[in-house]
Amino acid sequence: MKHFDIAVIGGGAGGLAAAEKADRLGMDVVLLEREPFLGGILNQCIHHGFGLHHYKEELTGPEYAMRAIDDIERSGVTIKTDTTALDYKKLGGRFTIRYTNAEEGERTIEANAVILTSGSYERTAGGIRLPGERPKGVHTAGKAQRYLNIEGYMVGRKVFILGSGDIGLIMARRLTLEGAEVKGVAEIKPHPGGLTRNVVQCLHDFDIPLYLSHTVTDVRGDENLEGITIAEVDDAMQVKEATEKHFEVDTLLLSVGLIPDIATLGDVHYAIDPRTNGAIVDQTYQTTQDGLFAAGNALHIHDLVDFVTEESLRAALQAAAYVKGEVPPREKQVDVVTGETISYALPQRLNGDYLDKSVTFSLRSRHAYEKGTFLIKQRGETIERFKRRFINPAEMEHLVVEGGRIARGSGVEIILEGSS
Amino acid sequence: MKDFLIIGAGITGAFIARELAKYDVDTVVIEKESDVGNHATLANSALVHSGHDPEANTLKAKLCVEGNAMYPDLAETLEFPLLKSGGLLLAGDDERKALMDKYRNALDNNVPSVRWFERAALLEREPGLASRVAAGLDLPTTMVTFPWEVAIAAMENAIDNGVAFHKNTEVTRIDQESEGFAVHTDRGVFRAEYVINAAGAFAERIAAMAEEEPPFRITPRRGEYMVLDRRNEGLIKHALYPVPSEKGKGVLITPQTHGEILLGPTNTAQESLEAVPTTKQGMERIKTGAGSLLEKIPYEETIRTFAGVRASSSHEDFYIQPSKADERFIHVGGIDSPGLTAAPAIAAYVVDTFIRPRRPLDSNPHFNPKRKTKPLYKTLDDVDKNARFKADGRYGRIICKCERITEGDVVDHIGRTLGATSVKGVKKRARAGSGLCQGGYCEGEIIKVLAREHGTSPLDIDYYEQGTPIFLKETKVKP
Repeated sequence: MKHFDIAVIGGGAGGLAAAEKADRLGMDVVLLEREPFLGGILNQCIHHGFGLHHYKEELTGPEYAMRAIDDIERSGVTIKTDTTALDYKKLGGRFTIRYTNAEEGERTIEANAVILTSGSYERTAGGIRLPGERPKGVHTAGKAQRYLNIEGYMVGRKVFILGSGDIGLIMARRLTLEGAEVKGVAEIKPHPGGLTRNVVQCLHDFDIPLYLSHTVTDVRGDENLEGITIAEVDDAMQVKEATEKHFEVDTLLLSVGLIPDIATLGDVHYAIDPRTNGAIVDQTYQTTQDGLFAAGNALHIHDLVDFVTEESLRAALQAAAYVKGEVPPREKQVDVVTGETISYALPQRLNGDYLDKSVTFSLRSRHAYEKGTFLIKQRGETIERFKRRFINPAEMEHLVVEGGRIARGSGVEIILEGSS
Repeated sequence: MKDFLIIGAGITGAFIARELAKYDVDTVVIEKESDVGNHATLANSALVHSGHDPEANTLKAKLCVEGNAMYPDLAETLEFPLLKSGGLLLAGDDERKALMDKYRNALDNNVPSVRWFERAALLEREPGLASRVAAGLDLPTTMVTFPWEVAIAAMENAIDNGVAFHKNTEVTRIDQESEGFAVHTDRGVFRAEYVINAAGAFAERIAAMAEEEPPFRITPRRGEYMVLDRRNEGLIKHALYPVPSEKGKGVLITPQTHGEILLGPTNTAQESLEAVPTTKQGMERIKTGAGSLLEKIPYEETIRTFAGVRASSSHEDFYIQPSKADERFIHVGGIDSPGLTAAPAIAAYVVDTFIRPRRPLDSNPHFNPKRKTKPLYKTLDDVDKNARFKADGRYGRIICKCERITEGDVVDHIGRTLGATSVKGVKKRARAGSGLCQGGYCEGEIIKVLAREHGTSPLDIDYYEQGTPIFLKETKVKP
């Protein structure tokens, strides 16, 4: 059985960054990628707007991916594409990973640490219990994006989009440019799910109506989709009477959320945070399973790929430290709790014996605020405060607390005091 | 000129076809849909009922108990999944009388090994039961199967034994002729001595083509369902039934053969024979019903919702009778619950009661009851896996990550007797696309494999029925 220091699962933005970083830190690394090519979802994101934070310039998805791919091809990472990880076992502190591909069949490798950068999958019609019929023509937006941008096929001519996540917004513009008529986008929440720039550039600029506080209440069509109905919802997300609007469409795209794709881990167990549907991690991005790390959309859903890259770099740094025995065992855990106005924060726990190193918190506000202050508290005392402007649930915030600021003894509380 | 023509390839038609294949006769099955088992067979509770429910001395009671007893052997012979889960019929304190009535009914119907349990005994078997559950019946012969695979299995076995099958063929008119019937379809005329109407929800329409006054009316009832994903395998071991009330048989919770948990059905009368929308109200009703059986249900892990139409009729019982106009035209109508369970017994009943007494049949000396399936690659041991992989590297390539279905498996399910021609056809057979992402990853790959194996363009691959292509137009110039 081949042995590696670190196995990285998934060769999208996160996996490329993590594998290359771990290689640079002297680790023997293997990278497994399900698709025949590296780059993951970036390959289908042919629009621009990537890289502003990480590369300090504006790139398309494939350009962003290509930079990372060029780097990894110059590295010593063992790359296996068109290869699916099947299951994981842990024996004597090491992981064995069974994978399969058309060249080797099923094989098993061993690794001291695993970094999960397997991305996410799209929430489906069933997942949101979409009412109505099940004709052909209802697709998740990312799948339709792949068909259009990679496979080269249009799925519809008259389109409605449910959910204003970034992929839905991007697809509204993309389908319009390809000649389809996008009749509208409905969002059940009172605010858009995607980035403000995408609402402006993909909907407003193309006169595509955005129906906030609306959801799809009916899907019609026997074999092929014929139409949908949307209606307004109140604060409790209950449909308001007599607010229905009907649209004749042959396609309904769903952009109703992404879910970390970590459901196929077999015998290796770890705790899940119901707020993120991803793993609970400490400041090293280590899950509750020793040696199992997670980053990128496999951990929690990001709005910017730059943040996926940067989080994966941090996770790789820590995974390498773990392999080298530099991360102390997790004997004293410090819990991180969040106030009402924060929907979630990572890490959820801190290794109390590793607090001499800085901690990066990633978090999202529950509401939009003109400005606000994030307070990091311990025993009721504020130990750090971060002022931010234009806080928005769709945009992830990062708070870096320097080493030595957080004490080992008691829980950490993160609070957001916002004002409109 | 055929000896027998069966209209409809749902579970009933498929088993009748297989029953006739045991004899030395020429049989043809015509089906208006693009695949076997597309309506009621595709959307039901997947239960092989014990027979406790149908009123005593009815065809439903008799054929349900008989059908139930046939399933274990059939599952082995035809190689379809069967989960011997057992069932529990659960009652609150205020429902003890109704439970006692069902207990007596089950005994009258000769349901094997029925026992009365008090709450403590029930909790030993299902620790998560709702607090209101006070007593119940143990129905150990209750089983769960994979309904459309059963129909496909029966039909494939029939075809392998010489039965002809025409899909995408809709009956438009039936003329009585001296030697039998001329069955007109959108794909030409079929002539046969006997016609068997197994058209499910459409059985009344077919009946009206054969006689002035159809002897039964179809009164369709829609049942909605909710499916929890396979991470919930083990949530319950038994199929859980509520005590039936005035309002109907109620919402069941059923472990599925592939690890999912099925909740439902609702029961709504409707006009349409085909409309299968799910509704918000339906989902709420399912939650209310299921909540009265089981304490904690992770609804957030819903993977799929669906609805099916039950071909209920104006008769309480199944309507299985020759036409008054011509004895050679046999109605098999009103096959609602327990139709899946009863189907193999219905087939034998039809042939033994209405055909053989008036038209002696010679047995088919070549009849092979067994259907050989090629098991999915993931189910093999390492030695067999290795052998299969060496012969074809496509078994090493996963197409459906969630269900671990390889490209080799998909190719097998396209190439088998009743091979898949559509995306949903592959899903029905190989379960590719049935997992957490519901085809988000694999649908495009499946379209490509289907196109390659059928020697056609991805533009011609349908989602399901004819004329439902997923790809409408190419956007790139291809070399």
